[in-house]
Amino acid sequence: MVLCIVALPVFAILGIFSLRYRKLAVESLHCLFRTAIFRPCRSGLDENIKSSITGKVMKYSPKAAGAMYRHYRILSLLFLIVLLLSAYWTAAGVYNYWKYGNCNGPEETGFCMFDPAGENSRISETDVDSITQVVIPKVENGDPLIGNPNAEITIIEFGCYACPFTKKAEPIINEVLEHYKGKVNLQFRTFYIPNHNLSYTSALAANCAMEQGKYLEYHKKLFEMQESMAKDKLFAIADSIGLEQKNFTLCMESNRYRQEIDSDSLAGIHGGVRGTPTFFINSQRIAGPKPFRTFKTIIDSELKK
Amino acid sequence: MIFGFDANKARKDFPVLSKDIIYFDNACMSLKPLQVIERINEYYKEYSACAGRSAHKLASRVENEVAKSREELRKIVNAKKQEEIIFTRNTTEGINLVANSIGLRKGDEVIISDKEHNSNLLPWLKLRKNGMIVKICPGNSDGTFNLENFEKLISKKTKIVSVVFTSNVDGVTNPIKGICKIAHDNGSLVLADGAQAVPSHEVDVGGLDVDFLAFSGHKMLGPTGTGVLYGKKKLLEKMDQFIIGGETVTNTNYDSYEMEELPMKFEAGLQDYAGIIGLGEACRYLKRVGLGSIKKQELKLNALISRELLKNEKIRILGPGDAGQRSGIFSFNIKGMNPHNVSKILENSRNILTRSGMHCVHSWFNSRKIGGSVRASMYFYNTEEEAEIFVGEVQKICKAF
Repeated sequence: MVLCIVALPVFAILGIFSLRYRKLAVESLHCLFRTAIFRPCRSGLDENIKSSITGKVMKYSPKAAGAMYRHYRILSLLFLIVLLLSAYWTAAGVYNYWKYGNCNGPEETGFCMFDPAGENSRISETDVDSITQVVIPKVENGDPLIGNPNAEITIIEFGCYACPFTKKAEPIINEVLEHYKGKVNLQFRTFYIPNHNLSYTSALAANCAMEQGKYLEYHKKLFEMQESMAKDKLFAIADSIGLEQKNFTLCMESNRYRQEIDSDSLAGIHGGVRGTPTFFINSQRIAGPKPFRTFKTIIDSELKK
Repeated sequence: MIFGFDANKARKDFPVLSKDIIYFDNACMSLKPLQVIERINEYYKEYSACAGRSAHKLASRVENEVAKSREELRKIVNAKKQEEIIFTRNTTEGINLVANSIGLRKGDEVIISDKEHNSNLLPWLKLRKNGMIVKICPGNSDGTFNLENFEKLISKKTKIVSVVFTSNVDGVTNPIKGICKIAHDNGSLVLADGAQAVPSHEVDVGGLDVDFLAFSGHKMLGPTGTGVLYGKKKLLEKMDQFIIGGETVTNTNYDSYEMEELPMKFEAGLQDYAGIIGLGEACRYLKRVGLGSIKKQELKLNALISRELLKNEKIRILGPGDAGQRSGIFSFNIKGMNPHNVSKILENSRNILTRSGMHCVHSWFNSRKIGGSVRASMYFYNTEEEAEIFVGEVQKICKAF
């Protein structure tokens, strides 16, 4: 019986392509039915498979073949359990990939066979001590919001201007904001990655630009010029978007947003952020530049609440 | 051409044997030598016309070749006349022809043995609805025929005795000559099912005095769908036709017809000319190898297998312990194992092709409550090396499973 359960879906799928397997699928079905009514399988399919496999094993080890023959029922039961478990995990993986862009779920960054390069899940990681209690970050009053300030949902992004994955998420986030125009906005909070060149300084510069009301323009320019970023370029960008240079320079030298930047990073650490980019949509956490549909799935469900 | 028998030389004529297999299912179907395959191809490539109808040169060649084949078959069973050789599709058709044409009436009795192939059981069982009686002659416990039981069973009402010549279950050859003597003394006819006997025994229908002998081409190197019914001429002439139509009549009117003479009287419709010609070639091949050599090789292999495997307590064979009485068949079971599984394991471990099941003799197995057996059946192209591999594999199964 156990074998028939295993054989039925396998032969049914193969039967789509070959008549030979269609016949075997029908035999499996009959066999399953006969077993269900406590009758022996007439087609002998189960015994056939059993002896074919043990015969092949006998080529290499008669002892192993004999043991397999005697304990076939138990072995096939174990095989069935493994098959069902792997079928469950495969289905869960496919569902997670479809919904969250990663087989393991929205918060996970582990290997996913549908995204072998991990493009959807790559983050710039940093050493963070494990936290005992996760505190979901809240919208920070005073920090700038991109999009409608009265939107129903705010996406909180923990990103780094020097992080290539944060840059990769930019067009996706812009698409999300465009799609949910008026309903969803974004609060970008800097998450300091120590080994990224100018990670802190560029965050400081963005805050200094905010002082002069040009945060969004500066924020965009930082990503545009990420690959060629250097300290003098931070001033050049300020100049190009029309910031008042003296005040900008004073702001940079004063280092007055250090506490603000540290506090943002700390909020991320308490929220369980291990690298950039990491997004929070209410209590749902998304790690890495996940595809648009991942954001859409979560936002749609949050909007319904 | 084979000069002196050598199995390894003979194997070169059989293309199927070039594959990595040990073919031990010869009781079901023999393999075909290139000579037979080429003769069949020759018919289709060079003269694939009708015989007995048209008069052109291609038709004449077909008629000539068919006549030559009939002569080969006459010689292989040592019949007196060509008209005694009727071409059929197989043994089954030959037996059905006799059962339906000898004029059995209500109350007539037929005796068959207790180990008959379905082809020699069902044609008689079917006739019971006409009031005919079928008697089963019980054999000995070792599978051999019991002449005493037969003598007790036969009566004045016994019209025909229909028995297997060599059993396809255990290879035991029945005493056809003795059966014929008893039957003829009683005024009964004898039909022998020679499907397993003719391919490897020197059968002499005259010496045996058997009235009918049915056999198949596919077990004696011939093409599938070919067979022969031998019948004594005087009996065949008296018998009614079985299947009628084209070629079985000389003339027809809307309300009458004139029956053809032997053998066409029983060969209705267009015949399998290629098959018949191929079967003739198979007879020539068998003659070259020598039926004596064939039997000797079969017995040698069976003796080797029996000597080794009968030592094993886990193995139970069907038939007598003496391999000399089982021709080329070694039918066995391994204690605690399903025969189908054993057969499948042999195939998957060393490509040893055997048959498992009841071998179309369900009645014998059912009456003894045996679920079936594994049957290894050897022919002249099998070698001692193959037999040794088979022995080794069976012993491994006995030990490990």
